[in-house]
Amino acid sequence: MGSRSSGLLFIAPAAVYLVALVIYPTVYLYYMVFHSLNPLFDVAPKFVGFQNIYTLVQDQDASYAILAMLLLTGITVPVQLALGSLLALLFTSPHLRGRLVLRSITLIPLSIPAVIVGLNWKMIFFTYGPLNTFLGSIGLEPQPWLSAPFGHPFNTFFVLAVLDIWQWTPFVALAVAAGIESIPPDIQEAAALDGATRLQMIRHIVFPLSKTIIIIVLLFRLIDSLKIFDIIYMLTFGGPGNLTTTLPFYIYKIGFTLTAAKADIGYASLLAVILLLIATFLVLLVLTRVLNVKRVVWE
Amino acid sequence: MDKRILGFIITLVAWAVGVIYLLPFIWMIGTSFKPIGEWGLPTLLPENPTGRNYLEILVTGGVYGVRGHFPPILRYLFNSVMVSVTVAILTSLLGAFTAYGILRYRAGGTFFANWILSLRMIPPVVILYPLVVLTKSIGLYDTVGGLVFVYPVITLPIVTWFMIGAFKSVPRETEEAAMLDGCTPFQVFTRIALPQASIGLATSAIFAFLFSWSEFLIPLLLAPSESAMPLTAFAGYFSNQYGILWGPLSAAAVIISLPVIMTAIMIQKYLIRGLTLGFIR
Repeated sequence: MGSRSSGLLFIAPAAVYLVALVIYPTVYLYYMVFHSLNPLFDVAPKFVGFQNIYTLVQDQDASYAILAMLLLTGITVPVQLALGSLLALLFTSPHLRGRLVLRSITLIPLSIPAVIVGLNWKMIFFTYGPLNTFLGSIGLEPQPWLSAPFGHPFNTFFVLAVLDIWQWTPFVALAVAAGIESIPPDIQEAAALDGATRLQMIRHIVFPLSKTIIIIVLLFRLIDSLKIFDIIYMLTFGGPGNLTTTLPFYIYKIGFTLTAAKADIGYASLLAVILLLIATFLVLLVLTRVLNVKRVVWE
Repeated sequence: MDKRILGFIITLVAWAVGVIYLLPFIWMIGTSFKPIGEWGLPTLLPENPTGRNYLEILVTGGVYGVRGHFPPILRYLFNSVMVSVTVAILTSLLGAFTAYGILRYRAGGTFFANWILSLRMIPPVVILYPLVVLTKSIGLYDTVGGLVFVYPVITLPIVTWFMIGAFKSVPRETEEAAMLDGCTPFQVFTRIALPQASIGLATSAIFAFLFSWSEFLIPLLLAPSESAMPLTAFAGYFSNQYGILWGPLSAAAVIISLPVIMTAIMIQKYLIRGLTLGFIR
């Protein structure tokens, strides 16, 4: 239907816009990788060849930031998938009372800006904040939740992980619940007539049919967990030390805070390229195996 | 096991989870009505509720009479509304346009569709510095217009994919009939396809609004002054600069959160579909 040229006219505005705002910045990013620009002293970028790459190889903070990012993703995403799937089973149970209200409540952490989630927890976790006052009043030891170094039993990295799990488990739950509800009721009725228990139904009907959905959820969680920034900015600003400085936050520190030890926009650009490569690799791994765009769109 | 006991256990566990999600939020609302002496107390609700926090942060500025300590946020709120509404209108229309071209004409092929999808993956921090340079070079740095110019990088991929899903449920036959009656492709789009996908269009506008409203890192660096900074960036920046003014900060947080929570509950049927770009319906 229709001609080729009118199709191109439909996509032209978005294509032009995205080329200007995505391709140009990406090219500029690669240009900056071979330049150095100190935001305090320099006016124009100066060519330094491979110097940023030498800096990266010797920069232990950068290796730690990459590791911290992967560790945070590696902890939070599997836990979210597991807890979220369990929660989805609860949400779709025919015995549950007050389902609608409950679902609306779990929308809160999904819809509030991440900054506000961070702000809220920052107040609650504050050393002299309500949580510690409460713990003190029932005779438990207050904890330095947001400044506990590595080795501390309530170390801040895990506080951060728990918060991310708290924030995003409802997303998994609601998505999986939507999948379970889209299973045609007659399949479930037929199984029930054959005398299947609910556990058997979950294992043999619900679980296999939700597989695709779980993989899609995994994809989106993976993407967003490699972007985590707002909550770190609010809660810990990368600290204590650099315990919660994951790669996106490290890029911010190097590129945009003037006080960082290696503050340099060229070096930050190299780190950004690394982040982009890691994200692309992980996402392609999931995407190429599971989602066939051609099938999703046109068939 | 007895069905009633099972039902009771399930309801109990599910609601225990619900309480974990509700408590921090109730505490935030409670704190926003607390007078200065109660801010740090672990009580959910204020003993002597006051509207002073709201009055001071919205209108007069200052905390408990100390002027200049907390600027009135009306200006930042105004910036947020301006940016989010404009971006919502612009990207939903542009996204609908693009989605229609991709779906009906296969314009750009699999590559273009894939490429737009992949943009959802880019962490904003990666292209932030080039965007600062770009907006500075065309005079849009630190303006509301600059944010409107940049935000579609985030919202356009989401809206485009959401609208692909919306147009898929529009029957092709009416469009083909209109073509035969002599309508141009653009007329078919505006008169036949778009009206039939109007719910999808409205929902995608709401999504673009929600994403723009929540954006933090981009405005933090692209709009550092009062004339352009939106409320989210202000709340984050302010709490790191001036610390623990919990009453006013909570009031600001409530003002930022309430509209989006209401909106999210309103469109909850579509929320997951939108967040997964239409992959889960």
